[in-house]
Amino acid sequence: MLSIRNLHARVGDKPILKGINLEIKTGEIHAIMGPNGSGKSTLSSVLAGRDDYEVTDGEVIYQGQNLLELEPEERAWAGVFLSFQYPVEIPGVKNIYLLKAAVNAVREHRGQPELKAGEFLKLVREKLKVMQMDEAFLHRNVNEGFSGGEKKRNEILQMQLLEPTLALLDETDSGLDVDALRIVGEGINRMRSPDRSVLLVTHYQRLLDVVKPDFVHVLAQGEIKLSGDHTLAQRLEREGYEGIEAA
Amino acid sequence: MSGFTAWLADAEDTHAMKAIAVGLPTKRVESWKYVPTRSLARTTWKQADPQGVEQFALTAGSFINVPTLDGLSVTGPDLLPGEQRRLNKMSEAHGFALTQAALEHSRLILTVGKTASVALNLHHIANQASSAGFAALVIRVSPGAQLTLIEQFDRATVEQANLSSLRCLITLGRDARVTHVRFQAANSHAHVFTNLDVECGEHASYRLQTIEFGSKLARSDIYVALAGKEAQASVNGLAITNGSQYHDTHLAIDHVVGDTKSEMTFRNMVDGKGEATFNGRVLIRKDSQRSGTEQSIANLLMSDSARVNPKPELEIYADDVTASHGCTVGSLNQTELFYLKSRGLSEADARAFLQYAFAEKIVEEIEDPEIRDLVETQLLGELTHGELIAELKESVDV
Repeated sequence: MLSIRNLHARVGDKPILKGINLEIKTGEIHAIMGPNGSGKSTLSSVLAGRDDYEVTDGEVIYQGQNLLELEPEERAWAGVFLSFQYPVEIPGVKNIYLLKAAVNAVREHRGQPELKAGEFLKLVREKLKVMQMDEAFLHRNVNEGFSGGEKKRNEILQMQLLEPTLALLDETDSGLDVDALRIVGEGINRMRSPDRSVLLVTHYQRLLDVVKPDFVHVLAQGEIKLSGDHTLAQRLEREGYEGIEAA
Repeated sequence: MSGFTAWLADAEDTHAMKAIAVGLPTKRVESWKYVPTRSLARTTWKQADPQGVEQFALTAGSFINVPTLDGLSVTGPDLLPGEQRRLNKMSEAHGFALTQAALEHSRLILTVGKTASVALNLHHIANQASSAGFAALVIRVSPGAQLTLIEQFDRATVEQANLSSLRCLITLGRDARVTHVRFQAANSHAHVFTNLDVECGEHASYRLQTIEFGSKLARSDIYVALAGKEAQASVNGLAITNGSQYHDTHLAIDHVVGDTKSEMTFRNMVDGKGEATFNGRVLIRKDSQRSGTEQSIANLLMSDSARVNPKPELEIYADDVTASHGCTVGSLNQTELFYLKSRGLSEADARAFLQYAFAEKIVEEIEDPEIRDLVETQLLGELTHGELIAELKESVDV
């Protein structure tokens, strides 16, 4: 599904990613863990096409295409979804406008028929229930005045509606209380499918108790220092990142 | 020289000679620094002929079909001394104000009776080529009365320059409330001049929402005096300036006495080779203690050749006041654009979403649902790629 080879990226003059190699197969869930400043968020942003970062070397192949050549919207059409660490507030635009526009834009590019208002409402109500969100969220402005937990739930709601093939979840667990963590975690678990891959970026192990990854990678100083199965996350929680960073 | 000289020479008004002598304001006049006066100077202006319509309208400098409503009376023709003084002050504001005064064709004086509640919808009807209409409207809102005044500039197709000017005085008695909406979507050859002077008595409340999309050149001079204790004023505005349009609003709120509150929010969105000027002045006088003002000005530049001239001015001479202000100029937020695109919206649709969002913050404040819908519909028509949002509104709004 996704091959990242020798990926180097920088912000301004500052190199952040210094040769990432990662292979994600269809249906797998990979977790990227690492200390602050290790490049975790840069990796997911580069994959989603944010242009604050400059890729200086390496390549990313997604379903046979050179992902780095695609515009952010083309990546979305091809099935890539990024859940933002800090979801963006858009005062003046109702949430439901964005949701419907996004769903139909993506459907159009996948050759699926446009959802009519009734069909869309039925679908979105179903997903709202899963995320335990009130219908009032649809008519509020995008993320405006939402609490941290509500914003993250709104991200996962969008993911459920867009049904991506590759989901990049950037610190989706940060700022969540125990209940919200469970709801968000279960929302992600519902998306588990043999046709879908997930890359979870997180600082803590707690989300990984709910969403069990197939592989865990430790990112430090812009490189993957260590890979293992889900037990690696538990080890990190006990021992911290220090030993790995020194390696 | 101005294109009004011949007309002024025939006018009998006392301001006419002075207007000829002064001519149009030059770039040296601070408040007219950015105004492109070429079309005013080069057109040979003449008095317009009234257009026949069925609504309450201002056409060719005349008010027609003044409605008969409970609580509303046509008064006049004499001005009260205070009103005369305010009109004189208006005439002397700049060189063109003299022309506006000298060529005034008619004056309508309306009174909203004590504790009455009146809604007025005034249509500004475009005039024919090279023609102009000048008028004055004086509204006295009696103590405890309420007025909703909606002004609409109809978008008739006129192929050549046309001009309409309205000088308007509104006086609010004690406890009076006025909601005033101006929606200017005049045709692309229109020159629209508005001089508005509002005086709020004790505990009175004035709210103005001004939305400008249309015209080739629009200039609004707005002065709101908070003259009675606990009076308050809220003015918010949006100008969308495109092509080679020029929009200019000079707004001043004067805290004449203490315990008064004001709020000023203005947004400019400029595209193409458009240019917009906003001058927002708040004056809190020395003895106007315990007053408060909030000012926010935002400017969105959509193209490299778009220009905006924002000038916030706070003049505070009292020491016990609360004041906040902010002024921003920028292009579309890249993080917001990326967020929308990462959800599958095309670049064009994402830009339309953000432009709509910028404008909607002002438009959504319009209370009257009918006029709000009208403004929103025309707003979407103004935006390149506004169709997607129009479709969404249609399909999912409940």
